[in-house]
Amino acid sequence: MPKRRDILAIVLIVLPWTLLITVWHQSAIAPLLAIRKGTQYDGVEGKREAGGQVQDSKEYCASDKDIVEVVRTEYVYTRPPPWSDVLPTIHIITPTYSRPVQKAELTRLANTFLHVPNLHWILVEDSQRRTPLVTRLLRETGLNYTHLNVETPRNYKLRGDTRDPRIPRGTMQRNLALRWLRETFNANSSQAGIVYFADDDNTYSLELFEEMRSTRKVSVWPVAFVGGLRYESPKVNAAGKVYGWKTVFDPHRPFAIDMAGFAINLRLILFKPQAYFKLRGVKGGYQESSLLRELVTLNDLEPKAANCTKILVWHTRTEKPVLVNEGKKGFTDPNVEI
Amino acid sequence: MATRMKLKLKTVFVLYFMVSLLGLVYALMQLGQRCDCTEHDMPKDRTISRLRGELHRLQEQIRKSEATKQPQKQATKSSLPTIFVITPTYARLVQKAELIRLSQTFLHVPQLHWIVVEDSPHKTPLVTDLLVKSGLTYTHLHMPTAKDRKLQEGDPSWLKPRGVEQRNEGLRWLREDRRAQPGGDNQQGVVYFADDDNTYSLQIFEEMRGTQRVSVWPVGLVGGMKYERPVVEGGKVVRFHTGWRPSRPFPMDMAGFAVSLKLVLANPEACFDGEAPMGFLESSFLQGLVTMDELEPKAANCSKVLVWHTRTEKPKMKREEALQAQGLGSDPAVEV
Repeated sequence: MPKRRDILAIVLIVLPWTLLITVWHQSAIAPLLAIRKGTQYDGVEGKREAGGQVQDSKEYCASDKDIVEVVRTEYVYTRPPPWSDVLPTIHIITPTYSRPVQKAELTRLANTFLHVPNLHWILVEDSQRRTPLVTRLLRETGLNYTHLNVETPRNYKLRGDTRDPRIPRGTMQRNLALRWLRETFNANSSQAGIVYFADDDNTYSLELFEEMRSTRKVSVWPVAFVGGLRYESPKVNAAGKVYGWKTVFDPHRPFAIDMAGFAINLRLILFKPQAYFKLRGVKGGYQESSLLRELVTLNDLEPKAANCTKILVWHTRTEKPVLVNEGKKGFTDPNVEI
Repeated sequence: MATRMKLKLKTVFVLYFMVSLLGLVYALMQLGQRCDCTEHDMPKDRTISRLRGELHRLQEQIRKSEATKQPQKQATKSSLPTIFVITPTYARLVQKAELIRLSQTFLHVPQLHWIVVEDSPHKTPLVTDLLVKSGLTYTHLHMPTAKDRKLQEGDPSWLKPRGVEQRNEGLRWLREDRRAQPGGDNQQGVVYFADDDNTYSLQIFEEMRGTQRVSVWPVGLVGGMKYERPVVEGGKVVRFHTGWRPSRPFPMDMAGFAVSLKLVLANPEACFDGEAPMGFLESSFLQGLVTMDELEPKAANCSKVLVWHTRTEKPKMKREEALQAQGLGSDPAVEV
């Protein structure tokens, strides 16, 4: 009997103390955490970086990153919208290569981008040297840009028109752009940014850029005219989570989505510095998966465009122009740039 | 033993009660202090104040630019001639994409009036909504092509002339509308025929704005060549550099010329002739309006390419068609 009472007494004493201690523990740790977060925020606010216009005389310009108000040199071109300190920057990576329609494609792409605030265009040429055509075009648009180049080795290049899915086009160029981003932006003190891969022949609505600005990790949306369908889209359940892919061509790919159908938060790119597009041995249609599987899981994807029910980007392709009348020696003056 | 236990217990209980009370009071004080935890809220407040500052700045900017624009706007309204762009369009898969990227280019051009003429018996909701959302000044018309004049599935694109009825309808509306405006036939303006799949640089619109009669310039990627252009000597067009039938009166593409509004109004009968032989469509319109030496060369004496005759591939729909045969096609309510 005394033993029981003893035990009862001990329990009655110890129990409330443990409760008190746990409560104390929590309340003691929380303010500690807040203090730590406070210093972190101070760090973020202290060094603010924003993309600025890069002089094309240097390869990649890591310094010189002041916010530059773009000055109109020709009255014809409109200025891009004023740079905002609050909006996340959209870094658009576009691989391009020389062909007759290149200037036309880049011109109309630039006309679209001139409407988007806080846009940074990273144009990567598939060439040994940066061509004067692209250099001049970028300068004249007045956009905020970075001009890079890397040549795809001959044995990787597509021959003529044949779409050989074993050699994905633009891979080396996109990887170079990713590397440039990682070298330019610091993981700890980065301004908010979104990375989007935009091919030079697609069509983008202006709404798309505003949808992708709120990406926290990786966001996805439908793309028209891919996979032999009117559009391909992610499957979204009632809880707003992506659980599959509405495609006909290999819907069991880890990420059955086109390059134009997703955007990645810059922070994620910087936190996973090993994530690149796989160059060799990639099956047709698995290019996007080769990068995305190193960054996110299906569960982390954020569906945009009204839960993936609206089409905001079209995978248009431009016909190869018939130049039969040029003949063997070329009829037109080669000095005129087209 | 029992009494000692009891005594011990009593004191222990009393002690425990006192200590717990103290502890509770302390915990309550801690809870109270937590509300005071500004370290957690400060960054948020800072962001809010930053956002407010940014908003204020942007509002100032808008106010400033509007203030400078207002006097300019009055000036521009009277001094900048309006460019009337007539675009025939027809329903196909890439129609929405083409019109959207066209509108994105046009949005940069001041004083532009877009006249969209659909090849359709009635206005389609797709184009209607697109035009409303575009933010442009526009006129939405429609004119169906007669069945025998229409290209059928599998016909090459050059077999029958396209857009004839639509361009003529655009001209008819323009004449009717402008006649009702003050200024009558002496109005400033330029008429340009822009197909929905071409690519236009912003410069071309500034080049054509000063057209007095008919101005011309090179067009890229047309006529089976890198570009076609008028050949200029002494500031006048002497002949045309083209790879196909250069003996035509005006061997150039629809995108290579613009006509002044005055000329269009002064010649109410001038329109496109659908019966004209292949490649003579532009000539059928221009013949009654100008002679070759009256043409005004633009784009640095026709040496720069500022517009390209791009064409968009028809998207492959094999899988879509297969699915539709099974009754599993994509949701037709989703507009593409």
